[in-house]
Amino acid sequence: MPDLIMKDIYKGFPGVVANDNVNLTIEKGEIHALLGENGAGKTTLMNILYGIYIKDSGIITWKGKEVSFKSPRDAIESGIGMVHQHFMLVPTLSVAQNITLGLKNKGYPFYNKKKVIKDISELSKKYGLHVDPNELISRLSVGARQRVEILKSLYRNAELLILDEPTAVLTPQETDNFFTILKKLKNEGHSVIIITHRIPEVMKITDKVTILKDGKNVATVNTSETNENELSNYMIGRSLKTFSTREKTNESKEYGLVLENVSFKSRNLKALVDISFQVKKGEIFGIAGVDGNGQKELAEVITGICKLDSGTIILAGKNINKSNFKTRKKAGLAYITDDRQYEGLVLDMDVSENMILKDYDQEPFSKNCIINYKVVREKTEQRIKDYNIKTPGINTPIRLLSGGNQQKAIIARELAAGPSVVLACQPTRGLDIGATEFVRQTLIDKCNENLSILLISADLEEIVSICDRIAVIFEGRIVGIVTNGTDLNLNEIGLMMAGHIGETVNS
Amino acid sequence: MAEAGTTLYFIVTLFAASIRMAVPLTLAGLGETFSERSGVLNIGLEGIMLSGAFFSFMAAFITQNILIGVICGCLGGLLISMIHAYMSFKCYVNQTIVGIALNFFSLGLTSFLFLAYFGRTTTVPQCPVVKPIKIPLLSDIPIVGDVLFNQDIFVYFTVFACFVSYIILYKTVWGTNIDSIGEHPKAADTVGLNVKRTRYVTAIINGCLGGLGGAYLTLALLGFFMENITSGKGFIALVVVILGRRHPFGVLFAALLVGAAEALQFRLQTLGLGLPSQVFIMLPYVVTVIVLLFSIGKSSDPAALGISYKRSSR
Repeated sequence: MPDLIMKDIYKGFPGVVANDNVNLTIEKGEIHALLGENGAGKTTLMNILYGIYIKDSGIITWKGKEVSFKSPRDAIESGIGMVHQHFMLVPTLSVAQNITLGLKNKGYPFYNKKKVIKDISELSKKYGLHVDPNELISRLSVGARQRVEILKSLYRNAELLILDEPTAVLTPQETDNFFTILKKLKNEGHSVIIITHRIPEVMKITDKVTILKDGKNVATVNTSETNENELSNYMIGRSLKTFSTREKTNESKEYGLVLENVSFKSRNLKALVDISFQVKKGEIFGIAGVDGNGQKELAEVITGICKLDSGTIILAGKNINKSNFKTRKKAGLAYITDDRQYEGLVLDMDVSENMILKDYDQEPFSKNCIINYKVVREKTEQRIKDYNIKTPGINTPIRLLSGGNQQKAIIARELAAGPSVVLACQPTRGLDIGATEFVRQTLIDKCNENLSILLISADLEEIVSICDRIAVIFEGRIVGIVTNGTDLNLNEIGLMMAGHIGETVNS
Repeated sequence: MAEAGTTLYFIVTLFAASIRMAVPLTLAGLGETFSERSGVLNIGLEGIMLSGAFFSFMAAFITQNILIGVICGCLGGLLISMIHAYMSFKCYVNQTIVGIALNFFSLGLTSFLFLAYFGRTTTVPQCPVVKPIKIPLLSDIPIVGDVLFNQDIFVYFTVFACFVSYIILYKTVWGTNIDSIGEHPKAADTVGLNVKRTRYVTAIINGCLGGLGGAYLTLALLGFFMENITSGKGFIALVVVILGRRHPFGVLFAALLVGAAEALQFRLQTLGLGLPSQVFIMLPYVVTVIVLLFSIGKSSDPAALGISYKRSSR
């Protein structure tokens, strides 16, 4: 008898069916992957199991008994724990306080610190989840926070652990460490469900895979009896596109974008320290690193949203230190922001209005302060065709478009002015695989047209697959720059992402 | 000798008065501390205090019983606080807007009811007031005894309330729960804490303590009620919460500071310095603004302060 049976789970949200009669069976002590694209309904299914959402219909059987959790508390009490993609930890509290949050330990309501810390230390030792129970969460690295989250579930005697995109934010080393922990959990008899869209990880760590697509079951297979291609076919209906290291067609000596000793303070904290690098024409230069190490600040300093404190930025041969956002754009800078919903688009405006957000005040779109909507319509229609943007019409509010099509709209707008430098900040975050491939291909095409591309991404796989040179950023510093190629040492990049100073290879 | 005696008397009464002035601010500030630490910003503190002052006065006036007055003062504060809670947690209305509206609502309601009941009178209706309680032995200590141990029950209760609040907020799991709900309500929700219920509890504490602070004005300091009797004390209490960094003793000390300024202005008015009385009345507010200036950039508000929590429906 399997531990968990979810049968014919149906859940609809206004306008969408998130889960359409989905089935899932988990045996005791197995690592089970829930594989699928964004919006396939994986997280919804798990949120239903965990009591965050209430299912419309279907049956959940846990340990032989039919259950219907009304809140996470019910799920926790039955031995189910969930680690969310965005960690549910209170930054101002200590590790121990977070782990015991909401529990009534001996001595309640008083806080029995000694016993709690002893219990946590024993658990950490048993599972190899090293973390200092007295440290504040706000001072921990992402990897350590994840260990706290897992400890939190184990402390509540979770027999089944649900992990939502657990490796998305980890460095390669942290990921390896995480896999070791998973194996320990399995050996101790815990069952694990991993929500993911990363096929190689599924192959490496899981026993079984259930693939979801558009809220429906596609297949459930044993990992040992499948391969990456088959999984990819299940997930997106075709094989994954691989971007092998590109042939360099035009090696240029000219620089499109140069940063010299750029420093920037944000809220009195050093956000960027002495950043220097050059992006050649016809080159994709990648900035790798764990999220929150100064990537956003770097992008905003280059675009002029934030004023740098010292250093120089040279765009297409001109010093642009003193220029504002608009002048920089005119000088040839295109910016694909990481926050398309709030910075890239005005969600309640329609597609055509969003298309002219940055040059509505210039010819041909307007003359004497009057917008020429005929031109706007023509240009928008042209771009919708060129970039294959799927929209019901040019007057549809852009809010209603999918993330991928919104991103295409931003790219169409940014590239329309004929820039010489493209700054792409996390351009594929949250996109489905098709849109991701489109964005990457567009960047490669633009590079081949002799543009300079600066790609800032926390997704190391993405950086490695399309960049020519890779810089690693850690706590606002460039810790190393390496040339991409077949001899690229991923291990070294991983170490640099964790703050170890690497070898600077300037070419 | 005689002059030294006068100066000493001046200082003793000034300190004693500072403490009494600090009581309503501390009580209301403690209540708001609970509320804000759980992530609820209740600007309606002025309204809570005013309502507490009015209902405590009415009850004490009608029954001539101070205890009933105290209870009704709490209930009066509770009424305003519960409206705020309902509007914020159930209707998801902007907490600040509701708070502002409630201040005006409370002002209008109490003024109207007062006028409707008493009509326009020439004599001010009086209610009984609490008497100071001398604590045996301790009150015999020179100066200190008069300042600290010859006060009314509210003063002793306020100090007691600070200790209890400190223990709850810093030594128990409840305090951790409240903090987690103010910082990251979703995290609290996912470990099974009831965000709404906890916030209702802190709203109840806020209403009762704020109402009590208002009741102190009528049942201890003045013995009568008039329109807008709180005259901004609720707003000063909000400042006291910020100055005190939402720590019970911080709130107590901030309230003492502002209370001292208020006690001083009463004394200065009677000295006959030849300045218009408005100059002195300004003093506590000026002190408040100056102290606020010094605390710029040091605040550490709960991350979810003022944001009503909704378990997302996607």
